[in-house]
Amino acid sequence: MEKSMEKVIEIKNLTKSYGNGRGINDINLDIYQGDIFGFLGPNGAGKTTAMKIMTGLIRPDHGDVRIFGYSVTEEFEKAMKQVGCLIEIAESYHYLSAFDNLKQLARYYPEVDHKRIEEVLELTGLIKFKNEKPKKFSLGMKQRLGLAAAVLSRPKVVILDEPLNGLDVEGMIDIRKLIQHLAENEQTTFFISSHLIHDVELTCNRIGVIYNGKILNVESTHNILKNYATLENYFVSEVERNGRVPSSAD
Amino acid sequence: MAVFQAALINEVEKLYKKKKVLVAVLLSLAVIVIGQIGIIGVRSGFGLRGTGSLEFPMLVLSVVVNTVLPLFTALVTIDSFSGEFSQNTMRITLTRPVSRFKIYMAKITAIILFILGALLLLLIFSMMAGFIFNTNSATLDSLGRTVFSYLVSLFPMLVLALGIVLLANIFKSGIAVFFVSILIFLAMKVLGLIFSQYSSLLLTTQLDWYNLFLVNSFPLAKIVRQFFIMLGSAIMLFTAGFYIFDKKEF
Repeated sequence: MEKSMEKVIEIKNLTKSYGNGRGINDINLDIYQGDIFGFLGPNGAGKTTAMKIMTGLIRPDHGDVRIFGYSVTEEFEKAMKQVGCLIEIAESYHYLSAFDNLKQLARYYPEVDHKRIEEVLELTGLIKFKNEKPKKFSLGMKQRLGLAAAVLSRPKVVILDEPLNGLDVEGMIDIRKLIQHLAENEQTTFFISSHLIHDVELTCNRIGVIYNGKILNVESTHNILKNYATLENYFVSEVERNGRVPSSAD
Repeated sequence: MAVFQAALINEVEKLYKKKKVLVAVLLSLAVIVIGQIGIIGVRSGFGLRGTGSLEFPMLVLSVVVNTVLPLFTALVTIDSFSGEFSQNTMRITLTRPVSRFKIYMAKITAIILFILGALLLLLIFSMMAGFIFNTNSATLDSLGRTVFSYLVSLFPMLVLALGIVLLANIFKSGIAVFFVSILIFLAMKVLGLIFSQYSSLLLTTQLDWYNLFLVNSFPLAKIVRQFFIMLGSAIMLFTAGFYIFDKKEF
């Protein structure tokens, strides 16, 4: 079914190794329009490395990532035009107000006006704090501001690395709802990494498991849950099948 | 071009929203006030003439190009590069649809605008102080020369800024960049004294190159030579700095 849909992200032979032996090795992945793709793996499996390459923060040793057909290593501006992202901890300029932080980003997108900035602040529940500086924000609030920044330009693809970091239960539910809302109403494609298995199960419709820098399997959540009681069982069995049993999934 | 413009406006906004620029302005004014008080003291205490109205701005320039101006340039440059590297705020811009070259250019242009602003501010205030407190000896010719001296001082400052940009891309810590910059600056001063016949090659000598324009015989060959030495240094420093910046992993 998915094969007939538009390929949004194409990851080919992506390899990046660090001096300490960690990194990613020959990753291949296709993400289609409308996917809420969950990138599941333990800490240190290579999720962030892959996502940093996808967003141009680091360069791969080999391979490439194409977003809407544009290579991130060669045509960065075109590739990133439709992309919003949040990598690791949501960063913000602590000397600018929440509103001004978003205004900085809005300048790169002619169609984003002040109304849209207010809209995303409302969407992430930060509108009350729009004139406050993120210096005084809690981790969860900073994360919300990062999410507001990621969806500001109504991107067609949103790449989120551990978006639930630092969020309380209410925050997690809010963000999950926001992701599902955007996927349904604006056909936004999501690429979300997480080590929180339960949340991936609830949010994502396709799941790729990464372990020790390699992709073990990619499957739809629907199919996984047909064969396994929970996503956790599937994850453990995938990892076992590949010869390593983690002491804990996260 | 629109993307570069957006990046430049962002860099300028970040500059003026920080307190550092205000401190720079206040310190520049302090230099003028202290200088003026010193001159009035000399005049009334020793009965010396001190300076004429347009000599005072030149006196101020000769002091600031070797002291506060390089210092502010260093602070602003280090803040713009090392500061953003260490706080990870560099990622905010890097993951937007703007190439690294445009970001690098925008940062440097913002620094140039800052230096130009500081020079113009010093020029205006020192001229005002000069006209108010000192004997009037202004002619249109000397006024033109004064303004010109301030403007051409931008060029060696640019070379200095590019040198610090390179250092900021080499060293991780902003403090290290600051100390290495000061050490190199002092070393150049000393070398200029020891090997005075080669001193025109050194940046610290070039900071005073505005003097060449004040000589009545107008040493065109020397001015052109100095200009090309600075241009060459600027191109090399710019390229080396960008090479490292472009390869940097965030």
